[in-house]
Amino acid sequence: MASRRRMLLKVIILGDSGVGKTSLMNQYVNKKFSNQYKATIGADFLTKEVQIDDRLFTLQIWDTAGQERFQSLGVAFYRGADCCVLVYDVNVTKSFERLNSWREEFLIQASPSDPENFPFVVLGNKIDVDGGNSRTVSEKKAKAWCASKGNIPYFETSAKEGFNVEAAFECIARNAIKNEPEEEIYLPDTIDVGGAGRQQRSSGCEC
Amino acid sequence: MADAPAAGGCSPQQDYPTIDPTSFDVVICGTGLPESVLAAACAAAGKSVLHIDPNPFYGSLFSSLPFPSLPSFLSPSPSPSSASSSSSAAAVDLRRRSMYTEVETTGEAPEPSRRFTVDLVGPRVLYCADEAVDLLIRSGGSHHVEFKSVEGGTLLYWEGGLYPVPDSRKAIFKDTTLQLTEKNLLFRFFKLVQSHIAADAAAAGEGEGEASGKLPDEYLDLPFVEFLKQQRLSPKMRAVVLYAIGMADYDQDGVDSCDGLLSTREAVKTIALYSSSIGRFANAEGAFIYPMYGHGELPQAFCRCAAVKGALYVLRMPATSLLVDEDKKRYVGIRLASGQDIMCQQLIVDPSYEIPSLDMPCTTPVSNSPRKVARGICIISSSVKRDSSNVLVVFPPKSLEEEQVTAVRVLQLSSNLAVCPPGMFMAYLSTPCTDAFTGKKCISKAIDALFTTKASDDLEGHSETTSENNTEGVKPTLLWSCVYLQEITQGTSGTALSCPMPDQNLDYRSILESTKKLFSDICPNEEFLPRNSAPKYADDDSDSSEITR
Repeated sequence: MASRRRMLLKVIILGDSGVGKTSLMNQYVNKKFSNQYKATIGADFLTKEVQIDDRLFTLQIWDTAGQERFQSLGVAFYRGADCCVLVYDVNVTKSFERLNSWREEFLIQASPSDPENFPFVVLGNKIDVDGGNSRTVSEKKAKAWCASKGNIPYFETSAKEGFNVEAAFECIARNAIKNEPEEEIYLPDTIDVGGAGRQQRSSGCEC
Repeated sequence: MADAPAAGGCSPQQDYPTIDPTSFDVVICGTGLPESVLAAACAAAGKSVLHIDPNPFYGSLFSSLPFPSLPSFLSPSPSPSSASSSSSAAAVDLRRRSMYTEVETTGEAPEPSRRFTVDLVGPRVLYCADEAVDLLIRSGGSHHVEFKSVEGGTLLYWEGGLYPVPDSRKAIFKDTTLQLTEKNLLFRFFKLVQSHIAADAAAAGEGEGEASGKLPDEYLDLPFVEFLKQQRLSPKMRAVVLYAIGMADYDQDGVDSCDGLLSTREAVKTIALYSSSIGRFANAEGAFIYPMYGHGELPQAFCRCAAVKGALYVLRMPATSLLVDEDKKRYVGIRLASGQDIMCQQLIVDPSYEIPSLDMPCTTPVSNSPRKVARGICIISSSVKRDSSNVLVVFPPKSLEEEQVTAVRVLQLSSNLAVCPPGMFMAYLSTPCTDAFTGKKCISKAIDALFTTKASDDLEGHSETTSENNTEGVKPTLLWSCVYLQEITQGTSGTALSCPMPDQNLDYRSILESTKKLFSDICPNEEFLPRNSAPKYADDDSDSSEITR
């Protein structure tokens, strides 16, 4: 039973508006980047099949759909996440400073069973901007913060150039797998009325 | 919560963000289910939508609250009379009213209290085949909520005991309490209704269709109770069909209850929904499903759909007044607690806001005596039905006492829905009423009939043993309860729309019906949440990735 749920990994991406959450997702899943910024419209979640150590998983990556702009993500968004990705813009100090409140918000809302060991991954994005000259948050500073929060894995990325995105998401997937499933409340008999939601279809559900 | 002292307009404005842009097609206040469905529908129809809520959470009057938040929600401290930020001629103050009265709580809050999630709309379920489910699928909201079955089925309280309602051929067959003639009559009745439903569905599909099997109009126009008598169903079977399947609220045998008299036409529709619900989802047992984590998940699912379609969301943002045009004929915007004015074509507010009437012709149907519903919330130590987690119980009229004119419905939920810790159960009760005394008496009697209270501590020692061999005779122990009254208002239209309240029904059909009507007022030429409105990358051809099937 447990293996059924573990096929599907829910990943949520948090961080201030405009740090590149959607771009990172798009670069990873679709290998595409658009310079045109629009506050996220149209993306619910993206999925990608990943193979980790000969096992296949479906990574379901949830975007904030703009609801992060005024800190208005509902508790339902956070539920059942297997890994939480915190993103900031290395050129915007404020977005780095806000990582702590995003992390706390996640822990309060998702209330994972083992908050100390819940997998986070931090991404410092937009390192390509201005050849790195407009950078205001140093790698050292970011790594120090990650270390202080229980050694959160840290990646510097450029969604625009696709730099380090693949590696970051592989780490995200590996960490999500390690996240022990919470109580088996999802199983075995939750009814997914849409037929293909966050849960793998159980056998014989097609009716 | 922003309990700003009413000290002359100096509210902590620095806490409120500034919203950009400052003009929208639609502004919605409150994130109850109707408002959230409207937000999703308007966004899907291409409208720009600003959706705000004064609370830090979604759901308004349709929320599921963590247990510790319930008391302050039911009995809010009087809101500071909206610190009139220079109430100009072009704005009228917006006031909130409390919909809840007569709140009465007993027992100690169980620990850990945060693990209990309390519905404000209970008892409520979805039929597997009802419109709420279809809307979730159509909008893409079904990705955000999962359900479990009310797998214990329905129990009818009859002659002091709980009787499992035979709602299928198999159940009737297996029932050991019925006599053979009773079974035959019930079989025949269901067959008659089923063939009507089949004929009706066929006719609807083809315009003109097979009329054979259809019940003649003279039957359909009959009060359902008369039809059941004609079918020679026994009083107990009539109670089953009227109250436990037809979900009638009022005594159908009462002489003076013309109001709540269920017609055969209406009842047959409900039975059709009931039977099409059974088996709709392979892993659902019975006709009813309940959302994991409580009903508050549903508004969130629709808000998420709206956000994906571009609606802007701002929680913790109260509205203080409505903006009026020069002639004071129309509402043209809203003033936020931040002092910011937002202009809009259409305003929608949740029913806890009182819309001040303007000098315009009022399209609001004013009902002089608001309907009420008495609700109860209980935490109990074991299940009312052995080996069942989630169960519906119906007390037909007169089953609790001779004067009881309304049915009382009880929904028991278990920890498998993540609404309480293992070993505990939540039970929700409701009954429509006109006055507090009658309504609350009904709820209390139902609570007494189902549960026992362990008033004194010296009984504690026995609790271990009794809960372990919980045989049929042992009633669950009531640990905590809250009984209160809630007003019911209808959705109203005008230049500011007011959405419907959670009603006394077991499902959302009537609320969604009014919501649809409100939508057609706003977008007369648009389809209500069209089938293809499930989110996908619609705006960018290069991004046409497969997200949903």
